[in-house]
Amino acid sequence: MLKNVLIANRGEIACRIIRTLKEMGIASTAVYHFADRGAPHVAAADHAIELTALVPTAAYLDTAQLLAAARTAGADAIHPGYGFLAENAVFAAAVEAAGLVFIGPQPEVIRLMGDKILAREFAVAQGLPVAPSCQQDGTLAEFVAQASAIGFPLLIKAAAGGGGKGMSIVRSAEELPARASTASSEALRYFADGRVYAERYIERPRHIEVQIFGDGQGHVVHLFERECSVQRRFQKIIEESPAPNLPVALRDRICAAAVQLAAAAGYRNAGTVEFILAPDGEFYFLEMNTRLQVEHPVTEFVTGLDLVELQLRLAGGEACTLQQRDIAQTGHAFECRICAEQPEHDFRPATGRVAILEPPQGPGVRFDGGLRVGLPVTAAFDSMLAKLITHAPTRAESAARMRAALAELVLLGVDHNVDYLGRIFAHPEFLAGRLHTGFVVEQAEQLVAEPLTPAVRAAVLLAAVLGTDEFSRLAYECPEPHASIGHWRN
Amino acid sequence: MPTLLTLDGTTSEVDIIGRRPQLNLRVDDLHCRVEELPSGGASPCDITINGQRHRVWRAREGDRIHVHLDGRSYSVGYQEAVRAAAQSGHASNEIRAEMPGMVVELRAALGDDVAAGDPLLVIESMKMQITVTAPRAGVIESIHVEPNTSFQKGTLLVLLRAVVE
Repeated sequence: MLKNVLIANRGEIACRIIRTLKEMGIASTAVYHFADRGAPHVAAADHAIELTALVPTAAYLDTAQLLAAARTAGADAIHPGYGFLAENAVFAAAVEAAGLVFIGPQPEVIRLMGDKILAREFAVAQGLPVAPSCQQDGTLAEFVAQASAIGFPLLIKAAAGGGGKGMSIVRSAEELPARASTASSEALRYFADGRVYAERYIERPRHIEVQIFGDGQGHVVHLFERECSVQRRFQKIIEESPAPNLPVALRDRICAAAVQLAAAAGYRNAGTVEFILAPDGEFYFLEMNTRLQVEHPVTEFVTGLDLVELQLRLAGGEACTLQQRDIAQTGHAFECRICAEQPEHDFRPATGRVAILEPPQGPGVRFDGGLRVGLPVTAAFDSMLAKLITHAPTRAESAARMRAALAELVLLGVDHNVDYLGRIFAHPEFLAGRLHTGFVVEQAEQLVAEPLTPAVRAAVLLAAVLGTDEFSRLAYECPEPHASIGHWRN
Repeated sequence: MPTLLTLDGTTSEVDIIGRRPQLNLRVDDLHCRVEELPSGGASPCDITINGQRHRVWRAREGDRIHVHLDGRSYSVGYQEAVRAAAQSGHASNEIRAEMPGMVVELRAALGDDVAAGDPLLVIESMKMQITVTAPRAGVIESIHVEPNTSFQKGTLLVLLRAVVE
């Protein structure tokens, strides 16, 4: 049993990990940069240690300071959350070399799965289906020639990266050289590795992923699938489990492939195997994420399991007694990522300060956030502010619950995508479960807000202006004649 | 003078038409009878407009007012009337009395460069002292009143000359 866990992260995921630590009676140690000194994860933890860095994100990436903080706090393990150092093999190895438990997979497994090309070769060796592809192992000109031979459309991406950086769809041989060159320079900038990779682009693909959990000794179970096809800028915004309109037999084959891959790698702890599902029912290995996922709550809702608890028990030396037959998928769960952004301006990130926060409540509603009133929302960190998750017996009921919860959520002080998400949950194609990763782009016109009626517009404007001291004084307090000189101030 | 508010890139005028028996406002061409229940200035509160009740949360940050009304969020741009007029570019050179009163003191002199919002003169009207400010930047071309003199509604008080760019 672990005694004290340092969380090398911030925001909602740090708060979420701390919650389970409290439930298990394990002490929690938070780390923070000065910019985050008032953040909820700092207040929630038993101990909090400040890290110094010129750039806030750099603090959470500083291995030496994190290990020193763990020593100071007397921590016996480090949970990396997601992002930051969660999939950094060098960090995981350094944690173990310092005599601490890294709550995640073995460093060599992180290294294997972190390299898209090696991971793909490993998947092929295990008999997993992969989309036709080629990798750059020589000059960019050679790569262009090989990629053209696969046929179009092609998806070009960074060999080393994720998160949509350096990714583009190329539809003809003419545009390939320029796009490959752009992708390569973006890959170099973001990942310090300019190698690019091309694969056959599947039209109207679905993103289906499988949550797995392994004990590091070859025992691996899956916690069923998640559908993550609703994406903007190649990043997920809505996830759900089970995947809609997915035949059980196909679902079982995808889950079995995920387990096979993870078992072959001797995978330890929680992980996710991602697949592309083509409209014809063929599926292809995409990549493996060697960490807890942002969207893990949908799996927790349908399985009733606490993934962080599973992670902590295994890391604390308990044997994994979880058997496949013990895991059931019950009801339907959705997750919405609440982001500080302007959907009407191509999802441009927004900044501000949380002025009012009223999370929705009720049965089957979960709000995972790292927010509080007064918290600045800056460009220093990721634009995801919180996650709203719902669970109900059927997909339709869960969607209705999400729609109501989105309307109930009050978050003022920064522009966000809550109303936009609400429009997706009112869209007939979405409600019918006819999803693919191009959904948001394809349905862009239907997802624009309807123009306000004059009555609603007037209500919004009056609600706004009557809340100001200046106008309400004019409206309620002044004797009649003075109102007409409202712009004269005494 | 109406208050100007911006929502979804369009500007609307809000003006007070009457206060009794109910607050009566105009939003562009729409007349609105308003009842706002007291809420101690805090959110949420209920506001009833033309018989339709709305649940409202709101937060102000400088020139922006964030509003959550009936399950949706909005961001309203708000400028105090003086600054709105000053920045509109259509503000008149003529500063006229909007009601009868008396000049208490002059705060600007002939030929002064003034910026939008600078005080021009203090008047007393309806037993209140009111500072009349420049609706926009300019030079004082002429002053048409003196301290301790009274004026009627519509009297020209100060004439501004636009600054040549």
